[in-house]
Amino acid sequence: MIDDDTLHSWFVRDILPLERGLTGYIRRNWRTAEDVLELRQDIYERALTGARRGIPSNSRAYLYTVARNHLINQATKSQIVSIEAVADLDTVDRSLDLFEAERVLDARDKLRLAQTGIDKLPPKCREIVILQKVKGFTDREAAEILGVSVETVRRQIKLGMKALIDHMLGGSGRIVRSDYRARKKRVKKP
Amino acid sequence: MRRQASIENQALDWLVKRQSPEWASDDHDDLDAWLNESIAHKAAFWRAEYGWRQTDRLQSLGLKAGLVAARSQARFRWIPFAAAASLVAFLAIGAFAFGPDLANQPRTIVQQVQHQTAIGGREEFELPDGSRVELNTSTTVRAAVSEARREVWLDSGEAFFDVVHDPDRPFIVHAGGKTITVLGTKFSVRRDESHAIVSVLEGRVRIDELAGPSHKVTIVEDGGTAYSRNSSILLAAKSAKRVRNSLAWRKGELSFEQAPLSEVVSEFNRYNETKLLVSDDDAANILIGGSFKTSSTDSFVRLLRDAYGLNIQREGDTVRISTY
Repeated sequence: MIDDDTLHSWFVRDILPLERGLTGYIRRNWRTAEDVLELRQDIYERALTGARRGIPSNSRAYLYTVARNHLINQATKSQIVSIEAVADLDTVDRSLDLFEAERVLDARDKLRLAQTGIDKLPPKCREIVILQKVKGFTDREAAEILGVSVETVRRQIKLGMKALIDHMLGGSGRIVRSDYRARKKRVKKP
Repeated sequence: MRRQASIENQALDWLVKRQSPEWASDDHDDLDAWLNESIAHKAAFWRAEYGWRQTDRLQSLGLKAGLVAARSQARFRWIPFAAAASLVAFLAIGAFAFGPDLANQPRTIVQQVQHQTAIGGREEFELPDGSRVELNTSTTVRAAVSEARREVWLDSGEAFFDVVHDPDRPFIVHAGGKTITVLGTKFSVRRDESHAIVSVLEGRVRIDELAGPSHKVTIVEDGGTAYSRNSSILLAAKSAKRVRNSLAWRKGELSFEQAPLSEVVSEFNRYNETKLLVSDDDAANILIGGSFKTSSTDSFVRLLRDAYGLNIQREGDTVRISTY
């Protein structure tokens, strides 16, 4: 049994940097775009659960095996995905390297990436992220400076955080304000 | 709400909460408990934490050296630490965040000192943490350095601070109803009866206005000067030159750029027992530029006589300057 600290550092060091590639892989092999984040979370969980019994020697191959198996399982359960999609999965592996050269970011890249991420945020959210992340003010101080409530600051920083995390890990980095009611309706449709 | 969205939402809530200075060891236990509920929570939280940390380089855009980075290190630590250690970390952060509110709490004073200069005097001393304080003419300060914070009370006069970074110990200057909390490195504070002037040479400082009905916060960045009178603060446009001029006293000089004679004279009077007095408006409005030794009233007065054709009269310790 692998302890949490080891598991955590493995996950952060070996798995999360692959997120961009993994997300692309899921996206290419799944028809319903809305499921991608859900599937990715499932894959992370399965990867962690498996690694608890022993840290795999080739993390990358391991992650994609977990991903493929999960997608196949989901596809066979699901009515939405056709059987051709499943067949494709086996061939995808070989082309992975061509598609996704995961970039190891150095400090300068990270800074540049984070800056473009910040620039994408809506103005109010950006201002609060800058006050907290760049200038180091606490939420209370940021609230005082801007004359808004601490709750507002926390809500905005959370939105900014979510967008920036996605951005840093290779996603769009756009703020997605999900209208959950609308989405529910859509899901219920046959 | 979908399962993934809901878990991510909770993970982000934890992350936001943990950034707050109110984060305490109880919260830490709660987070641990939440993480241990399921591997799904761990996956989501670890991902959010990792992704957010990828943006840490942004801090290099803000403060030049370490303060924020080091603070967030203390706060962003997720690896469980001993209860005692987390309490210390919380206190340090708390002290910074609440600033003066914690001033009344008892704590071990490591060293308390008082320094004073006479008219025309200048003195420099070092605090136990290595920070340097330079006192200008006719200045009184008291300083106390404890394990939790570094504090200086500017009772009168003007002082320049070159502060050593120490994320666990905020550096706070009290000047009347204001506190200046250092987020950066080098700055000066000048105080007289009615106003305070804060000039920032490097880094950034925060001014908290404690007097008056509302608590106001002003940030002054490098090259910036804040003039505060009673409870209003004027933030001058960034000018590194103005800041340098205002710090010329550190070299024993006064530096002016087209300042009216009345202002120049009152500056000279801060440094000398001999008081200059301008007796008419025409003379008072003459614009003066250049650098002068703070102590050389005589040569300054000679310059006024020779270059500007002003009339000089000595009466004891007073030198009267007039156009006729």
